[in-house]
Amino acid sequence: MGLLSLLIFLPLAATAIILLLPTSLRHSYKYITLGFTVAQFALAGFLYSQFDAAATGVNTADGYQFVEHLSWIRMDLGTLGTLEIDYFLGVDGFSLPLLALSAFVMLMAIGASWNITKSLKGYFSLLMVLNLAVMGIFCALDFFLFYVFYEVMLLPLYFLIGIWGGARREYAAIKFFIYTLFGSVFMLLVIVGLYFSVINPDTGAHTFNMLHMMNPANYVENSFFGYINNYNEVFGIPARMIGFIVLFFAFAIKVPIVPLHTWLPDAHVEAPTPVSIILAGILLKVGGYGIIRICLSIFPDAAVDANWWLGLIGIVSIIYGALNALAQKDLKRLIAYSSVSHMGFVLLGIASLTAEGISGAMFQMISHGFLSAALFFLVGVIYDRVHDRYIYNFRGLASLMPKYTGYVAIAFFASLGLPGFSAFIGEAFVIIGTFNAESVGTGIPRWMAIAGSLGILLSAAYFLWTLQRMFFGQTRLKGGEEWASSLVDLTKREQLILFPTLALALLLGIMPSLIFDNLNSSVLNLVALVAQYI
Amino acid sequence: MRDVALHLSDTLDHILASIPLFQPEFALIAAFLLSIGATLFTDRLWKQSSFFIAIIGYIISFVSLLPQLHQPASAFFGMLLIDDFSVFARGIILFALLISTIFIQQHFKGKIFQKNLGDVYTVLLTAGLGLNLLTITTNWLLAFIAIETVSISSYILVGYFSEHKKQSEAAMKYVLFGSVCAAVMLYGLSLLYGFTGNLDFVSAAHLQGLTAAPQVMTSIALLFVFTGIGFKLSFVPFHAWAPDVYEGAPTPVTAFLSTVPKVGAIVLLARITQAWASSLFYFGELTILFLTVVAIVTMLAGNLIALRQQNVKRMMAYSSIGHTGFLLMAVLVAPSGNPSILLFYLSGYVLMNLAAFAFIDSLEQKTGATTLESYSGLGKRMPIVFTCFTFIGISLIGLPPTAGFVGKLLVFTSVFEGYQSSGDLPYLLLLITGALTSVISLFYYFKIPLYAFLRDSQSDQNSNMPIRLIIAIGIVLTALVLGIGIFPDFLLGLFK
Repeated sequence: MGLLSLLIFLPLAATAIILLLPTSLRHSYKYITLGFTVAQFALAGFLYSQFDAAATGVNTADGYQFVEHLSWIRMDLGTLGTLEIDYFLGVDGFSLPLLALSAFVMLMAIGASWNITKSLKGYFSLLMVLNLAVMGIFCALDFFLFYVFYEVMLLPLYFLIGIWGGARREYAAIKFFIYTLFGSVFMLLVIVGLYFSVINPDTGAHTFNMLHMMNPANYVENSFFGYINNYNEVFGIPARMIGFIVLFFAFAIKVPIVPLHTWLPDAHVEAPTPVSIILAGILLKVGGYGIIRICLSIFPDAAVDANWWLGLIGIVSIIYGALNALAQKDLKRLIAYSSVSHMGFVLLGIASLTAEGISGAMFQMISHGFLSAALFFLVGVIYDRVHDRYIYNFRGLASLMPKYTGYVAIAFFASLGLPGFSAFIGEAFVIIGTFNAESVGTGIPRWMAIAGSLGILLSAAYFLWTLQRMFFGQTRLKGGEEWASSLVDLTKREQLILFPTLALALLLGIMPSLIFDNLNSSVLNLVALVAQYI
Repeated sequence: MRDVALHLSDTLDHILASIPLFQPEFALIAAFLLSIGATLFTDRLWKQSSFFIAIIGYIISFVSLLPQLHQPASAFFGMLLIDDFSVFARGIILFALLISTIFIQQHFKGKIFQKNLGDVYTVLLTAGLGLNLLTITTNWLLAFIAIETVSISSYILVGYFSEHKKQSEAAMKYVLFGSVCAAVMLYGLSLLYGFTGNLDFVSAAHLQGLTAAPQVMTSIALLFVFTGIGFKLSFVPFHAWAPDVYEGAPTPVTAFLSTVPKVGAIVLLARITQAWASSLFYFGELTILFLTVVAIVTMLAGNLIALRQQNVKRMMAYSSIGHTGFLLMAVLVAPSGNPSILLFYLSGYVLMNLAAFAFIDSLEQKTGATTLESYSGLGKRMPIVFTCFTFIGISLIGLPPTAGFVGKLLVFTSVFEGYQSSGDLPYLLLLITGALTSVISLFYYFKIPLYAFLRDSQSDQNSNMPIRLIIAIGIVLTALVLGIGIFPDFLLGLFK
């Protein structure tokens, strides 16, 4: 059993232990999950430190590290050939940082779950199953395996939102599920199409291996998604473009893009704080990761043709998300819309198809991963105390909760892209990449870079305005004295979670090379892969 | 005179040689006769005698089925066709019958039942006989007899238990609808016989006759024949009886009706499609066109109407209509491959449905809950049952890691292959409908965990549910569904 398998299946052991322990020991569940998650985080950190930054990743098995390759399902389907499904894991510069991020955010989520009281057994075991699925998604290099993890991820989330959520939890849970499933069933059809189009050069059988799908030489001539002699059209659109579009929308729903983002505010607002943290910190990244790993790498030719539209969608998400955030009166909804806006940068960076843009998109994903997690955690702090998060119900919190205000201010400044913090690096690289795209000739016009910077300006507006509305001025609370007494400042536990997160934002803002070093050769390889088709 | 004698001895030899091939069915016939005797005499001494006779009958039949594997043969002058497809199909049928019989025995265990329960096992045995015949014939006459045997047994099963007006109504509807469909089918068969002078639908003479006959008449005859099969499979527009009957019948009988007869009918349909669809003449195209349209309409109608159901059994009825549409899709592409994909989907379907009805029945008995609403908050009181039920729902939707997902993937794979090689638009429409209806089905299957886990219960009675045999079977079936989902090559390797 390799290290990656261990990383993926550690949470399963936690689930098994929790399920076997009697309910009378329910107070130990959180320590068990914490223990396993710490071990997982240590393992992820070990992998990160052992990673060879020269590995090129993306389209060759040699470029991946910690590879595990076992044959899983071999079925002879007669005239349909042999079904070849592998248990194939590996990490490169794209997946490893996200893997480390997931382990970190998962740790934050466990910390945020400390005060959960409702059916602990179910809660912690579902959380661990979710952990398993997320780790699996970032490691899987076989499309079938990827899809299995991708779908398995939905089930615990449905229950986590649906059982431990807020007032409209049923609606939010099913909406989230339906949106994602809608994207993924059509993804399944594309997977089947790819399966028939690609041949494993070693065995001659059709395969689900993603790396084989990235090599044009493995495509069967005249097959549905074939490179050569492909005249297949569906409703007048070339087959490869259809494949790209379907996969793009499946992942774009997760990112999310405007106009497919409407599940996000509902899910975030209704979900309990830890689940919001996981949603924002990890799940949105699954969308961005999927676009890079699958859409761009398997359909580079279609990506080159479609990237203007991707960029436009990115811009629309940035501006529309920011404007929506400005209009929100619920603090959690505001953060949710700021996520839409910030994830728009990821899409814009990917669409630029330049090394700077794609590195920036990856960096933005990492940075947004723990910053949004911190923001949702901060919202959770205030909601825990008074069960309200309506912006206008609070005023002058600074004098009541000075430490809290300090953390909020740092988190807000870090998120709005203040130089010195990680979000600045991500957004700046995306803008630089977009600006350079015209000289490289990838078809992204300069005005998109300018529109992107407008988004940064808007994010400064809504964050600073919120800071002013809620924290400064004379203390005035809707709940009066009762609220004033329950609004105590941050506890040790809460500081213990927040401090490393914000310290990390600062560290990465000053030393972005911590991420870029491991990322660089993979990004260059991907850009080279795509550049052939420009 | 001597000629005739020689001929006669040849005939006798053939019949004698055929008899061993009929062994699995003989086992059922013997069990049938014995159980009639048992209901009349020994049931008074030992209540369970007819039950055990039935169980032993299935097991003997199953065992005598095993030597037939990989030994293709034909018996009784081509009336019976024994191949691997039929062996596996009969294996699935016998397994499902065995489980259904145990369900029935468990269902009525604690109840005071006015009528003689032994008769039910007897009727189930005849149904099994009819279904077995359905899978091993390519002869219209035998197929019709088999369909009628199954139908009449089903009428009895539904009507036998009717206690109040609604159940009698369901039984009556079933009988009337079924007899009309059978009559129409018989008329269609008489037309086919008239055109071809041959009742074996795979024979060259039959195909030639169909080609030579006037197009309009053949089309009408085919549609008439499909009416009869459509009734058994309950595809749209012959599905109207299913919800009423499923709701009205006792749950174990519904479990039987929703699984076993479908296996037989699907096998027959697959044989017809295999024989005809490869033909280049218009009746082949007509069959394909008809099946495509029916598959799409059935998937859509079944899944959309299921959305609005509140009664769980009614919901399952529409869900099984939706699955019939999916099975038709699998039948359509079966000729291009081997039937192993079809068999895989069928066995997955049988396992899922039996498990679902095991849970529905035990919940109904324990708490009297028959509507989704009444499942509210039960998840906390019976976590194991509802966790398993949720997994079954996931499998019915077709999400990993379950048998339902692998089945769906395999069917999609073979349909896509058809699309890639022919470029026909109907295949693409089938794929899109199949994908779309899985999303739709999420809504109603997930109502079960929605009510059980997400809603709070109105009543606060706190009775813990003891693990009974029926629940244990349900849990084992769920484990099988999950196991096959993770390691599907085990089952698929079996069907090779």
